[in-house]
Amino acid sequence: MSLLALQTAFRDEIVAGDEGPPPSSLGMDIYRSAYRGRLLTALETSFERTHRWVGEEAFTAAASHYVLMHPPRAWSLDDYGCGFPALLETLFADDPEVDELAWLEWNMQRAFAAPDIPELDPAALAAADYSESDWDRLGFTMAAGFARRPIMTNCTALWSALVDDTDFVITTENAFLLVWRSGLLPRFRVCEEAEYYALTLLAERCTLGAIAQSVAAERLAHWLTRWLREGIFAEATLR
Amino acid sequence: MTDTLPRFTGFGLGLRREHQRDFIEHEQPVEFVEIISENFMACGGRPMRSLDAVRERHPVAMHGVSMSLGSADGLDPYYLAELKALARHVDPLWISDHLCWTRTGGFATHDLLPLPYTDEALAVCIANILRAQDVLERPLLIENPSSYVTFAESTMSEWQFLAALTRETGCYLLLDVNNVYVSSINHGFDAQAFLAGIPADRVRQIHLAGHSAGPEGMLIDTHDAPVCPEVWALYAQALDRFGLCATMIERDDAMPPLSDLLDEMAVARDHASKPSLAA
Repeated sequence: MSLLALQTAFRDEIVAGDEGPPPSSLGMDIYRSAYRGRLLTALETSFERTHRWVGEEAFTAAASHYVLMHPPRAWSLDDYGCGFPALLETLFADDPEVDELAWLEWNMQRAFAAPDIPELDPAALAAADYSESDWDRLGFTMAAGFARRPIMTNCTALWSALVDDTDFVITTENAFLLVWRSGLLPRFRVCEEAEYYALTLLAERCTLGAIAQSVAAERLAHWLTRWLREGIFAEATLR
Repeated sequence: MTDTLPRFTGFGLGLRREHQRDFIEHEQPVEFVEIISENFMACGGRPMRSLDAVRERHPVAMHGVSMSLGSADGLDPYYLAELKALARHVDPLWISDHLCWTRTGGFATHDLLPLPYTDEALAVCIANILRAQDVLERPLLIENPSSYVTFAESTMSEWQFLAALTRETGCYLLLDVNNVYVSSINHGFDAQAFLAGIPADRVRQIHLAGHSAGPEGMLIDTHDAPVCPEVWALYAQALDRFGLCATMIERDDAMPPLSDLLDEMAVARDHASKPSLAA
């Protein structure tokens, strides 16, 4: 048997899990158990609050399903849970706070350790002395760890409440969630639809001028001031 | 790759998340720390600032778990590029990884899986190590893993395989004494034959760790317990054969206070301070 064939067969045996044929030896059973245990632990670590919210049994069932369906491909275990919030959205279709909480947990951790990119200095932007047409051509690179999504529940309050293990009631909150890192701190906040779409356009390389087509100048100026204060941009570029 | 790697003879600990604050806020009596490379690759923010703070006080060794030097389908170029970027930032004492495979066909097992000790596997490892050393522009340290299966295809011992790798690639060795002990129990070989079979002049670092009892008399390399007396005895024999070299207590689970690990490290220092070694 070639080395490649041996490694492929070895991989298939450890991935098979309890649904597959029994392990071919005691040693293979150890490798199979270690594989599953390591991935489950990685998910428990990445989704500690989600785990607490749904409970041990439901979390383990969801995580076991994920381990079977999503063999890891990244070289870092820290990346393994990337698709877990999407699976929770399917498994907990009637409880949207579950995947929203998992998404928030995941992206806060990603923002915490995201590769460094310099934060845009509002003073430097002000000092650039842009003309009116320059402002229309201005685009931004988003801050480290920037992520966004629509939400249907008060998942951000749940995220905070789970630190203290306090009782919590889920309420409907059709809104939009932003995550990014400012300095060394991961941050999140909820925003309204219009601001969300403006930031989405900027994240997709549109310019302030393009956004100004559909947003009043005063409102855009208010958002821009806030975004700069919050450190939501990494770089400004004339496009 | 013929670069030589000077011998470094200090004692160190792994920089684990549970102890980062201890290392940042207080001077610790260690001569180096070892990081898990993958924890800091493609990474920034507070984790990287913490590493930078530790680097101001201590030399750092980079120890990887995902290079997959035994993969028949070769190394991951993106992994190597990220590892090289981290090495540029850290300026490590050395970079190490394991004699194992962790990945095949784009699938990452996140385990240190065993190799058959065959001519084909040797050729694969030699090619992969040479490529990694070429990209990283330095010789690697290769660590012997614990294992729980052997292969009928093997035509040489693990120590013969390691010795051949050092000859053919110029790599050095990270001797994990606990792994020698665990594998010797699991596979019934003589641990002293292992020590006698690897080239003494290529050992640059030693790992000491604990293990746990598995099923049917097997031992599992869990890194969740203190170093056992049998491993301390084997460490003493390793010191006799290889002389002083960088030694680290490796703990990854059931993490005790840092002071407990420093106490274990003091035991290692005691072993290494024997008159025959100090001379």
